[in-house]
Amino acid sequence: MTPLLIFNGIPAAVAVGTEAAQIVASSVSGAIAQWRRNNVDIKMGTVLLAGGIFGSLVGVQLVKLLRQIGQFEFFVSVAYVTFLGIIGVLMLMESANAIRKARQGKAPAVKRPGQHLWVHKLPLKMRFHRSKLYISAIPPFAIGMVVGLLGAIMGVGGGFIMVPAMIYLLRVPTNIVVGTSLFQIVFVTAFTTVLHATQNKTVDIVLAIILMIGGVIGAQFGVAAGQKLKAEQLRFLLAGLVLLVCLRIAWGLVTMPSDLYSISSVVGGR
Amino acid sequence: MRFSWRVARGLLGAVILLAACAMLVGIEIAEAQRRQQPTPPARPPEAGRQPERPAAPAPQAQPPQPVPAEAAPRETVQADVSSRSVSVTSSFTGTQIVVFGAVDHSRQPSAESGLYDIVIVLEGTPTRLVARRKSNVAGIWINTHSITFESVPSYYAILSTRPLDEVTNPLVLRENDIGFEHVRMTPVQGWETGVTTAELQEFAEAVVRLKQKEGLYVQEEYGVVFIGRSLFRASVDLPANVPVGPLDVRVYLFRDGQILSTYTARVRLEREGIELLLHNFAFNQPLLYGLFTVAIAVSAGLIASAVFKRGNS
Repeated sequence: MTPLLIFNGIPAAVAVGTEAAQIVASSVSGAIAQWRRNNVDIKMGTVLLAGGIFGSLVGVQLVKLLRQIGQFEFFVSVAYVTFLGIIGVLMLMESANAIRKARQGKAPAVKRPGQHLWVHKLPLKMRFHRSKLYISAIPPFAIGMVVGLLGAIMGVGGGFIMVPAMIYLLRVPTNIVVGTSLFQIVFVTAFTTVLHATQNKTVDIVLAIILMIGGVIGAQFGVAAGQKLKAEQLRFLLAGLVLLVCLRIAWGLVTMPSDLYSISSVVGGR
Repeated sequence: MRFSWRVARGLLGAVILLAACAMLVGIEIAEAQRRQQPTPPARPPEAGRQPERPAAPAPQAQPPQPVPAEAAPRETVQADVSSRSVSVTSSFTGTQIVVFGAVDHSRQPSAESGLYDIVIVLEGTPTRLVARRKSNVAGIWINTHSITFESVPSYYAILSTRPLDEVTNPLVLRENDIGFEHVRMTPVQGWETGVTTAELQEFAEAVVRLKQKEGLYVQEEYGVVFIGRSLFRASVDLPANVPVGPLDVRVYLFRDGQILSTYTARVRLEREGIELLLHNFAFNQPLLYGLFTVAIAVSAGLIASAVFKRGNS
């Protein structure tokens, strides 16, 4: 979402700060539904959340610093090109494979995670009952931190990183992953919104409300489309969209801008 | 109809949250009003007529009293603006301001004789501004150079009866900060490091160019029209993105390239209504503002899911 706001001429910092508020709105109902189904590992969620809040604090300060030296737009663009590029390619490959296999009439093979990784040898072990895990608290804290950092800088929820990381690195059961990550996202993005509002003054409440309304309406269409298309096809389309956005940002970075100069008000000064 | 009570509970929760939001806003409004109440007497009732000297070093403003000269009374200029205060609401889409005035003791026989020239400058509050230049680093365009200007007028409009170079000579223009080339832009101390005068010039030109592109720096070479022997008028379109703050209006009367008289007025641009409320809220109480935004987000999410579930069942 953030790149689309930036394409429409909204300053990158405002796009990021406001997007955080919109993610709160779009994740809260899902989080509550998961909570009711008892799919949230509160202990794991709290560790992730602690990491997320730390990451968010660092991220918002980083945004402040980058804005002061005038490199924020550049940094956001590079971050998006990197992440969208990686995710788009991975999704494209995965969904292409799934579509091919579905055509050949085979059920998509689910990779069984192995039993021991380096992650499981770290100290500070904790027992996470809901996830049926006994692992170090460091990896979930670190994952939460990365998600909080990216959320603050890029205006994303971070589910796209947290979910695979929890499944493949922590071996959290899949049904718990979604609920727990939503739990963390709601609180971290809420915290990030408040922090952006106080530190950077880059939350536009009017824009946020418009985005929320748009999100609700868009979700209805999304559900309708989701019922017509197969999951693999949907992922394939999404991957294409992700790559398009990625290319659009990359294009902006490498082509010569129409005006080499830009002006902005001094951040932090009066 | 099995949705009823779960949905009702969800909706109730959302309504309670919204009510809490409304209360927060209510408190905010009350506080804002309380804060504003003691201030009004401090404001001069009539801002335009005899303006206290603007913060900017304005030209030597001569009082508009007719000076009894030996031969004939000297010409002086008086002017005013159509609206001394413009309210910028959330639906502000720009406005037009008319600057009008008269030349006292005008000696020109008709409006077309062109004995006098009028130049009107509207200048917004000086603000700090950073100009940056991109260059190509390893195939990627990235901001590499920057200069911070201490004070650049946020808005600048010049209207004149003729092109400025026909009205007078560059020296006079520079002395009075008339024209885009003479907009006062002071770089912050320490800019010297690695920046040549030529580069500084380029940056200053870029600032003017970008401001022109945003519609904030405007020039109309035939924007001022004499209506009679002494009466003149000009209209300026303030764009929707005009920075909020006072606009200083300077009116110069020229004859044969010499300034005969000047007059200053002021237009106040002020936020009003929801625009003012939100601006104050966001900048004076950022913590509450952030919490409020989150509360709205949460209630929006809850309402959406309640409505959505109902539609599905």
